[in-house]
Amino acid sequence: MSAEGAVKGARMATTTNEGASRRPARADTAETARIALDHGTGGGMSQELIGGLIAPRLGGAHRGRMEDSAVLAVGTPRIAVTTDSFVIDPIFFGNGDIGKIAVCGTVNDLAVSGAEPRYLTLALVLEEGFPIADLERILDSIREAALQAGVTVVAGDTKVVRGGEIDKIFINTAGVGEVPEGVDLGMRHVRVGDAAIVTGYLGNHSIHILSIREGLGFEERILSDCAPLGSLVWNVMQEHAGSVRCMRDITRGGLGTVLNEVADGAGVSIDLSERDLPIQHETAMAADMLGVNPLYLANEGNLCLFVDGERAEEILDTVRLHPDARAAQIVGRVVERGESAVRMLHSDGGESVVELLYGAELPRLC
Amino acid sequence: MARCAVLTNDLQYDLVNKNETRKQAVAEFTPKMCAFLEQMRELDVPVVHLQLINREDDPLAERYDGWLPVTKGSEGARIIEDFLHEDDIVVEKNKDSGFFETDLHERLQELGVDTVAITGMQTQICVQTTAADAFFRGYGVIVPADAVVSAREEDKQRALDWLASYCATILSTDELVDAVAADELPQFNVVPIP
Repeated sequence: MSAEGAVKGARMATTTNEGASRRPARADTAETARIALDHGTGGGMSQELIGGLIAPRLGGAHRGRMEDSAVLAVGTPRIAVTTDSFVIDPIFFGNGDIGKIAVCGTVNDLAVSGAEPRYLTLALVLEEGFPIADLERILDSIREAALQAGVTVVAGDTKVVRGGEIDKIFINTAGVGEVPEGVDLGMRHVRVGDAAIVTGYLGNHSIHILSIREGLGFEERILSDCAPLGSLVWNVMQEHAGSVRCMRDITRGGLGTVLNEVADGAGVSIDLSERDLPIQHETAMAADMLGVNPLYLANEGNLCLFVDGERAEEILDTVRLHPDARAAQIVGRVVERGESAVRMLHSDGGESVVELLYGAELPRLC
Repeated sequence: MARCAVLTNDLQYDLVNKNETRKQAVAEFTPKMCAFLEQMRELDVPVVHLQLINREDDPLAERYDGWLPVTKGSEGARIIEDFLHEDDIVVEKNKDSGFFETDLHERLQELGVDTVAITGMQTQICVQTTAADAFFRGYGVIVPADAVVSAREEDKQRALDWLASYCATILSTDELVDAVAADELPQFNVVPIP
């Protein structure tokens, strides 16, 4: 059953589009207008913000009523559920913003479980004085990303806090996806002989954000990879479901952390080929300058797939058909070493251990 | 015919006087740097001073023991007089790269500049990022090793190694003056990473 037909209600930040059409949607949205504490009290100003701005701005990416919860029907016996909070600084960057990331991050977490992303909740925490024009821009991004990802915002919440209590805007999204029958992905399925595929350039999101923060000069050459990748996963699962063991979203902690978690979770060793790592030249430059390792840098639209080693090339061909995965590579193999470890096989023939990252390489990237 | 401009970075009172190590390093580099700038002016090479101005509302701007240096209009934000000539150009910037959200590129284009000699303080931050940014924008990039300065010599050397690897030709100021005079500016040979 479709989400559109299934939604019965939604709380606070959602309302019917029909209701919204009766309101002057831009009554308080001049460029100088700003969020006030009263926008978060649940009273008339809250209703104006939600019904007059948020819901209309989300447009076709939103369904719901002003009730306490959304009641949803799903078309599969199993669902995937995830949640994430987004505090990125800066909130606007070269090719995206906090709204786009808030959709993509959660949608991608659903997709790598093998689920088809269906529903999102959207919770906004706004700082008093936040420009309403910026909120509109972020809501536009949420709408566009949600439409691209095929998810519907079905419930939401809006809070306003005093100036200085947060930095501009924080967003939390939770996602629900339908897990098709027979799909069972997870680290426990990874076995010796499998191959690891990375779908995009490593570290680009981190370097892009850091370059904007500090004005490093790389921000126009290295863009964020933030993108919803549900369609990429869908393509792979349609053609190769039986050969896919596990998928992971490469976010905070980077590929190095993902590989260590998989090695530990599956009780295997992974050999990583340095020469096959997809790293954009400018990203290598920046990482070398900053003294950071692209292996541990965050992405926002990059997946690591563990697949049957004998079908890896064929699956790689499918992955590369996706516009956000042209740079995909087979980067490593699962091997038997009698331990759970990740080793880098260097281009010069040497080897080194890829350690688990402790602590954050860089803060507030998503 | 190639046209070169000299870009200096952060040669400002507050920044140079941050600590004794930095003051001493700049003091040692000043005589040669001043002579170099004068020679370049005589060769009709534009000198552009990149002046860091910290915005009061920038939480990422570096504070010195709680106070914000090089705020707009402050004495400490001025370019040090030893390096400044009345015909020089001053371009304000708010971040490390001199190109970031400034009109530096447009100013250089108006001057017909296609090669920049990047100098000043510190080698491993503003010189390095401005050099990378210039390289990405299509400029030939030269870094005169005796016209850049860092508080710690090892930081300077590491930055020069990086610059030589990725985007810049490293010369001495004497070599650069000779090259400009002979209209034989070197070109950086990009070596693609396999």
